[in-house]
Amino acid sequence: MKEKLSVILGVGISVCVFFTLAFYLMAKDSIELFDIVSIFIILILVISSSYIIWDRLKNLKVGLPVQDERLKLVGYKAGYIAFIAAIWSAVGSNMGSIILFDQELRGGLVTAAVVLISGIVFMVSYLYYFKKGN
Amino acid sequence: MKTRIKEFRARYNLTQEDLARKVGVRRETIVFLEKGKYNPSLKLAYDVAQVLNTTIDELFIFNE
Repeated sequence: MKEKLSVILGVGISVCVFFTLAFYLMAKDSIELFDIVSIFIILILVISSSYIIWDRLKNLKVGLPVQDERLKLVGYKAGYIAFIAAIWSAVGSNMGSIILFDQELRGGLVTAAVVLISGIVFMVSYLYYFKKGN
Repeated sequence: MKTRIKEFRARYNLTQEDLARKVGVRRETIVFLEKGKYNPSLKLAYDVAQVLNTTIDELFIFNE
């Protein structure tokens, strides 16, 4: 029951994120470079999470657990790497903006960068260890 | 680390999915175990050995 609930919740969140992105794009008059980068990262997150949900559904259908000790370890490792990425992106995004564009990022943009960068690092490292084994 | 899981599985005519179901893990975990790409916890190693009617010592070959 708990496993089914987690899959349903994952599908729900992915659909919500996708529709939010669609509404945001429809409401926007002009799309800037920052928007394109953000949309690209969000799309990668939605696609990779959909793949993970699909994989879990596949296991659920044949009566196998959606998560076992190996996947828990994979989650811990990916979470650790994403945590480090979050810390560095909080510092690095502002520093990068000053070096490249000679201006500081607003607080909201730094938060967005931290969330997007740590999110994508989590997904990439999760999928890497997911396919690697140990 | 090498394992003899495939050999024992064949002896009892079990598929990877059957073994996964019996020990309560995903099929991919059994695949990685057989390839020696995943070091299982002591509990999982014990469970696999129990299902295959053998011991951990016989199932897993530890290289120095």
